[in-house]
Amino acid sequence: MTAASAFAAALDQAQRTVSPISQLAGDAPIGLDRAYATQHALIARRLGRGERAVGVKLGFTSRAKAVQMGVDDVIIGTLTDAMRIEDGSVFDPSGAIHARVEPELAFLLGAELDAASAGDPMAAVAGVAPALELIDSRFRDFRFSLDDVVADNASAAGFVIGPWTSPAALGDGLDNRAVTLEFDGRQTAIGSTGAILGDPRRALTAAARLAAAHGFALRAGTVLLAGAATAALPVPAHGLVEASVTGLGRVSVRIGTKEESA
Amino acid sequence: MSAGDEVIRAADARLSEAAATRTACAPVRELIGAEDQDAAYAVQSLGIERRIAEGRRLVGRKIGLTSPAVQAQFGVHSPDYGVLLDDMVVADREPMPLDRFLQPRVEAEVAFVLGRDLDSPTTHVADVLRATEFVLPAIEVVDSRIADWSIRIADTIADNASSGAVVLGTVPRKLDGLDLAAMGMRLDTDGDPVSTGAGSACLGSPVIAVAWLARAVARHGRPLRAGEIVLSGALGPMVAATPGVFHARLDGLGEVRADFLAPLDETEAAA
Repeated sequence: MTAASAFAAALDQAQRTVSPISQLAGDAPIGLDRAYATQHALIARRLGRGERAVGVKLGFTSRAKAVQMGVDDVIIGTLTDAMRIEDGSVFDPSGAIHARVEPELAFLLGAELDAASAGDPMAAVAGVAPALELIDSRFRDFRFSLDDVVADNASAAGFVIGPWTSPAALGDGLDNRAVTLEFDGRQTAIGSTGAILGDPRRALTAAARLAAAHGFALRAGTVLLAGAATAALPVPAHGLVEASVTGLGRVSVRIGTKEESA
Repeated sequence: MSAGDEVIRAADARLSEAAATRTACAPVRELIGAEDQDAAYAVQSLGIERRIAEGRRLVGRKIGLTSPAVQAQFGVHSPDYGVLLDDMVVADREPMPLDRFLQPRVEAEVAFVLGRDLDSPTTHVADVLRATEFVLPAIEVVDSRIADWSIRIADTIADNASSGAVVLGTVPRKLDGLDLAAMGMRLDTDGDPVSTGAGSACLGSPVIAVAWLARAVARHGRPLRAGEIVLSGALGPMVAATPGVFHARLDGLGEVRADFLAPLDETEAAA
């Protein structure tokens, strides 16, 4: 077993048993290439159990988030169909180690996004939507190095996509829309889409660059989570979590067990 | 009032000397008590009256502590306010020497300009909407005369709500059709956002903050008058002012830039 597949097995086990693990390599960094190899091996295990890859997510696209986590580069992770939560349905936090939630923007690719189309990335976009991302580090106390979090699939745990708006119907600019996160109707985090790389459209360019460098495909139909517009907050034990983006609408997830919400 | 006139005067003297000598002072809470807001507003009034007697003119007010997170940090449940004097108002792109301030920080806000008096202690949001002649994007320069910003609620109120200056945009907008709560805010330096937020970060909406202010100052005997500028409160985290241009964009309202000049001796050293 290679180091990458051993790390992947440990991370997979941590996620499936809801038990945090220590950082992968203590003092010696495993390196970014091996970190992405670990992530690919981890996703291969999930695909082997019948999951489908449906998208990618970016991490550390905001300066506030990068500072919060002590890292200094944008990273990419994989979204599978098992992580998708329908707008308005339920996320059960007992399946996560220490889940956090953040309001985001999502893009739907209508055409392949590669280095060639990166010059005009919006041409490849079929839709833009408000989104919620549930993140859950498999590392103890949410403490990790950049390599660790890449290997851990960028802490991906779940995502909720709101209504899609076509680029033609977007109106002026995407780089300064108000973004709010509400718990049971009370605003708990407030920001602007400008927090996402200065302009969320830059997430498309960044995704194309990272995909080419680290072996990801950005085909038509891919969902791309562009990154958080505010700091991530711990998921409450119960209740309704909603995000809104001015001009794009709202998206929500109910926190609880599926039984009590039924 | 719990604090006596003598300590009120001593606190005012400490703050006015700090401003005059540009040397930050020890907290005035040592004199008036950390939580005594009445005494703190008495200190603020004394300072404002003195500056008006020296020839300054009252041109508006500012609201502070409008975010729940900042209120929690100060252990209070409401905003506070201060007075804007004519020498504090700067226009878009007008250069400001940084050494005019002691320890300046910046935040982007909405400035209201009143077309009529808002002098009732029962002012509500509809009154504010009716009385507002226009709104402008603004950058507030906050500053503290208290060393290291080591402030409690009484310190900041006594120090005119930690006011410094206000940079006003120059393109007025009517409130009609503007949803200030749903407005994105970004404050950039060199094209990178250093603070981001939205209108709802200010008490739910800047309009709500102005209604609160109108009631508070009407009760305290200096009601809002037609023509006044009201700086309604921060829409995102404040950041330290540094030499260069801070560019605030309020989505749908407009933009304004604060241009800070390095102190002269630093410029010479670099030359």
